[in-house]
Amino acid sequence: MNTAAEIVDRLVGFGTALREAALPVGTDDVLAFCEAVAELSPSDSEDVYWCGRTTLVNRRDHIAVYDEVFRRFFLHVPKGAERKHTKERHAPQGSTGTVNIPDAEPGEREAEEPPLILGLQASSLEIERTKRFSACSADELAAVRRMIARIRLEPPRRRTRRYCADASGSIIDVRRMARDAMNVNDVAPALLHMDRKRKPRPLVLLLDVSGSMADHSRNLLQFAYSMRRAAQKVEVFCFGTRLTRITPLLDRRTPDSAMRLAADKVMDWDGGTRIGDSIEAFVKDWGRRGLSRGATVMICSDGLDRGSPATLAMSIERLERLSHRIVWINPLHDATGGVPPTLAMAVVGPHIDEIASGNDLESLEALAARLPQIG
Amino acid sequence: MSGTGDQAPASVAELQDDLRGVGYLADRGLGTAALIALRLGRPLLLEGEVGVGKTELAKCLAALSGRELIRLQCYEGIDTHQALYEWDYARQMLHVRALSERALSDTETVGGLYAEDFLLERPLLKAVRSGGNAVLLIDEIDRADDEFEAFLLELLSDFQVTIPELGTLVADERPIVILTSNRTRELHDALKRRCLYHWIGFPTVSEEIEIVRVRAPEASDTLAKKVVDAVHRLRDMDLAKPPGVAETLDWVESLGAIQAVDLDAKTAVDTLGSVIKDRDDLEFVSGDIERVVPNG
Repeated sequence: MNTAAEIVDRLVGFGTALREAALPVGTDDVLAFCEAVAELSPSDSEDVYWCGRTTLVNRRDHIAVYDEVFRRFFLHVPKGAERKHTKERHAPQGSTGTVNIPDAEPGEREAEEPPLILGLQASSLEIERTKRFSACSADELAAVRRMIARIRLEPPRRRTRRYCADASGSIIDVRRMARDAMNVNDVAPALLHMDRKRKPRPLVLLLDVSGSMADHSRNLLQFAYSMRRAAQKVEVFCFGTRLTRITPLLDRRTPDSAMRLAADKVMDWDGGTRIGDSIEAFVKDWGRRGLSRGATVMICSDGLDRGSPATLAMSIERLERLSHRIVWINPLHDATGGVPPTLAMAVVGPHIDEIASGNDLESLEALAARLPQIG
Repeated sequence: MSGTGDQAPASVAELQDDLRGVGYLADRGLGTAALIALRLGRPLLLEGEVGVGKTELAKCLAALSGRELIRLQCYEGIDTHQALYEWDYARQMLHVRALSERALSDTETVGGLYAEDFLLERPLLKAVRSGGNAVLLIDEIDRADDEFEAFLLELLSDFQVTIPELGTLVADERPIVILTSNRTRELHDALKRRCLYHWIGFPTVSEEIEIVRVRAPEASDTLAKKVVDAVHRLRDMDLAKPPGVAETLDWVESLGAIQAVDLDAKTAVDTLGSVIKDRDDLEFVSGDIERVVPNG
């Protein structure tokens, strides 16, 4: 029989093993785990398993990692042994995330550049505001992204359920009146009003990163990054043949590191597009749970779809019901209002509220300015 | 049974038996999670698909322990006035008027305006006051906004509430606390860290048949088995909204209401609305009903 100290060592060791497997296990979690095991005095490893799963895991995604570490640590199953039967899911060859994104921010590369002479223009690059992104060189694109980062964004607002004092409000604020009445020892000296607070609407961005859109999408990723900074609730997804959520990656301090991470995570850069399937995946995994409820959804794609139009029609219709407004950013859309007659655009046409082009700086700025009025 | 563990069930098996006695079938994982929560006096956060019995567990724990169930249904914009307490302003104003008519406005009578008589108790304050006599269910916490989650942190770690005019109220004993979330958004880590966590998945076929037997004893065994088999096939069908256990029970009940003794393709189509609640899914399934309810 093991001594108590040995058991505690073993349990703490398990906590450390989980930490090594990148699970966020705090000291207090390990403490709770030990307490739980002490309370239950487990008779077999299954009890220990459930004690740990209740106290050390607080996210569904972590359960698989927990299971693996548990098997390795307590049941001595070698790493990866259980996985033999599962199908390996690799991206097809050649589609891995080898994306070169020129730095939008001054970094190490600056050292190689000749020192700038004060008084002259800071950058030799001058970007025409209406130059199409597709016609820009890599350095020009970096400059474009610097400029995109400066676009002021104000997401559309909506009324919330909370109230705040507002002289022109439509509801009488009894609470404040009662308080005032007591202060002056008089009853209801004047009517005070309040109204519903306004709050930015959540924004959901679905970016097409397939071959035909890859360049635009990198710029729009910068746009997404700026949005994430400006609005409280922004969710960003990339899609080509399948959907990847990249929101957590955009919390990085610099857009360049955020984008490099995103490039690694999104496996189907420069692949084909299946818009319908991607939107359907979004609706099913995220939209239904309420992510896009009351949100402005911005889909950025040129509408060159390889998937089935029926799927697209069904999924966009569902998305329309689950969100507040849908804005479609199509770089092929030109300023005169002409939309290229792709099948996908014809299918989604009746379900979207706004089409923008977003293919040059001017149009992105226009979109940013238009945004507050959309909601 | 009590929150701090003095009379809590001795083992997971015992708690599972007790829960079964009040009509709730918990598997070993859920039983362990609930027992640890009871013994350690910590809140239990339950996540899982819709309709797998997250809320029901709180109700059954209350029934089992003879405690009062205090339920706080969260929604967007919920704030302290709806969750914790509010002063009864209308009564206070009437009281002020009565006082001023009799020219009574010394500090004592004015101070009386903030007596507990004028306090409207909301669920969280009620739970703190009831302490060990309550099961507090904070339902669908993911619907509330971030500010409210932050506000809950203090309550869940110390079980005390500060009302500026009255002082701090501390629970004499911790209530059992169950939080549920449907994962419409990710909860903050700080909140999760104060809770024990359990993910409730869909039950296996045999577990679900057992659940139907316990919750709907009037249904025959063959009907129960057929319905559960059909529901499991529906869950494999890649529907927008796969049916939960609650839907299984609804279906059995609906079949009972039309006095069906068997589940065939026709009765299935007639009663499909109690198990599938999405129009697209409904069309998809009705067109392929043979796959859900095979003949013979």
